[in-house]
Amino acid sequence: MNRIEYRLNTLKEKNEKAFITYITAGLPDMETTAKIIKAQEDVDVIELGIPFSDPIADGPVIQQASFEAIQGGASLNKTLELMKKLRTEGVDKPILFMLYYNTIVGRGIENFVSACREAGVDGLIVPDLPLEEQENLQNALKGDDTTILIQLVSPVSKERIPKILEGARGFVYCVSSMGVTGQAADFHREVMDYLKSVKAVSKIPVMMGFGIREAEDVCPMKDIIDGAIVGSHFINIMRKAGFDPAAAKEYTAKFKSELNAM
Amino acid sequence: MNKKAYYGEYGGQFVSESLMNTLNEIDAAFEEAIRDPKFIEQYNYYLKQYVGRETPLYLAERLSEKYGTKIYLKREDLNHTGAHKINNVIGQILLAKRMGKKKIIAETGAGQHGVATATGAALFNMECTVYMGKEDVKRQALNVMRMEMLGAKVVSVESGSNTLKDATNEAIRTWAKTAEDTFYIIGSAIGPYPYPKMVKEFQSVISREAKKQHMEAEGRLPDVVMACVGGGSNSIGMFADFIDEPGVELIGVEAAGKGIDTNEHAASMSKGRPGVLHGTRSYLLQDEDGNVQLAHSISAGLDYPGVGPEHAYLHDTGRAKYVPITDTEAMDALMELTQTEGIIPAIESAHAMAYAFKKAKEMTPEQSMIICLSGRGDKDVNTISDYLAGKGYLN
Repeated sequence: MNRIEYRLNTLKEKNEKAFITYITAGLPDMETTAKIIKAQEDVDVIELGIPFSDPIADGPVIQQASFEAIQGGASLNKTLELMKKLRTEGVDKPILFMLYYNTIVGRGIENFVSACREAGVDGLIVPDLPLEEQENLQNALKGDDTTILIQLVSPVSKERIPKILEGARGFVYCVSSMGVTGQAADFHREVMDYLKSVKAVSKIPVMMGFGIREAEDVCPMKDIIDGAIVGSHFINIMRKAGFDPAAAKEYTAKFKSELNAM
Repeated sequence: MNKKAYYGEYGGQFVSESLMNTLNEIDAAFEEAIRDPKFIEQYNYYLKQYVGRETPLYLAERLSEKYGTKIYLKREDLNHTGAHKINNVIGQILLAKRMGKKKIIAETGAGQHGVATATGAALFNMECTVYMGKEDVKRQALNVMRMEMLGAKVVSVESGSNTLKDATNEAIRTWAKTAEDTFYIIGSAIGPYPYPKMVKEFQSVISREAKKQHMEAEGRLPDVVMACVGGGSNSIGMFADFIDEPGVELIGVEAAGKGIDTNEHAASMSKGRPGVLHGTRSYLLQDEDGNVQLAHSISAGLDYPGVGPEHAYLHDTGRAKYVPITDTEAMDALMELTQTEGIIPAIESAHAMAYAFKKAKEMTPEQSMIICLSGRGDKDVNTISDYLAGKGYLN
């Protein structure tokens, strides 16, 4: 069974909510990234961002993070190496890649997919690959559960939601607001109706992301969603702490316990 | 896969999910509008009365004599605001109004598309924001001033290379946030479907007129049609009505900057490989990790690492040929056109002139070619002066 699906199923049985964090691979370097991953004991799934030159779905925080990571020499290949190393060291946490489509096609789709399977990448989030353009990647992913494609929906997806969820795997990533990552907790005005409409048709866990900082931000929708995703804010915290893994451990432990105490 | 979004294997809609419904709405509204005689009438009215069309097809007498073949110039430089960009802006802004949008946004490099959009926004009383890279804001101060005079807000974009590519990223991000009330006017033949189709539709007036004018003057079709290619808006407009005329040779001229064997050029077709940027799959300058590389050209309008998807298709099928011209060749051609015909072209258009002079040498006096003179050179006077003074240029 796919690692992400296994983890989220286990949580469901325990009636717990899931917590996912995002960090940019190679910020400030791959060694620190490995330490930050290992420090997040209470996190259920880790999103590892592969830095790209033109991250159009990201706000200033992740843009800057990508820029610095690339300057520091981070790349898809180096992140795949990091993944292999982590898996060899026994890190069993579900980890997925958040990356832009050109990084995949640049490598060649088939080649990319086998490299991900080999390195133990459990899932992919590709923000510039809407349903209509997924055929080639899905064909390459078919027939092996190791790496799955995560679907995103937005507050304006409306009638597209059931179509997107058909055959969706792992969890559905509900973008909480219009636009890009890292805006303040300024959710779409119809966010509750939107989340309910996703939950109503989803057979898989519903995760909410974009603009979340603290567990209390998602308190109003705690009865609808199955968990929360924090990206830009987590990067800000790491920056402030000089990328000290202890800060990652502290923040994520607090978030996860508050999330389940709601 | 949405087949109609593709030109062969190029094109598509590589945008975030939050823009997919928006693209579908624009597509439906666009297809309906171009079949509505009232919309077309309105579009043609503004092109005639406001833009000043039709533009002349001028037989460049002294150049024709010098090179021994008929050289016709399609004078898009004579349009209001000084370039072909306004053709597309009028079309898209009328569509935006028809869709009930109140605000428009645009990206700009050199500022020509920004000025054209700000002009249209003033004319149709719409709120306009133009995204421009911080570097371009500095080197195109005059166009920033024009946009602000016209009532547009110019946002200086500080990210990545601080140029057109980054301004486009920022415009797409803003659009994803505000699409519910905002229309994004893309100026080049790039972007997710239906943008490449819309830009072609609204720029195809160039070749419709030119074909008719050439028939009137020569009683036949031209042998060669040529235009410069950055993102590819004037060239797709110049090619449009000739694509189905197999006897007409189509040539797109890319910016080779300091040479295609250096790292400083914008020749995405000659030196790039297929990739995905700004919502479309096409030829792209990129490194082995798939990160987009910086383009370079002395002309800001050609300084873009990608190219419109239909050009990629025309390239692969062999219907059009794409050739590189360096900064130096373009500047020489600019001076030659200026001093021989009394026309100061935009540096972009001078790239097409430079290749025209090469091509003319293999043609006969009975044959003819049309070159799209996409814009006038007033905006480039500072760059030209620095270049002539041997100071090099900013970029």
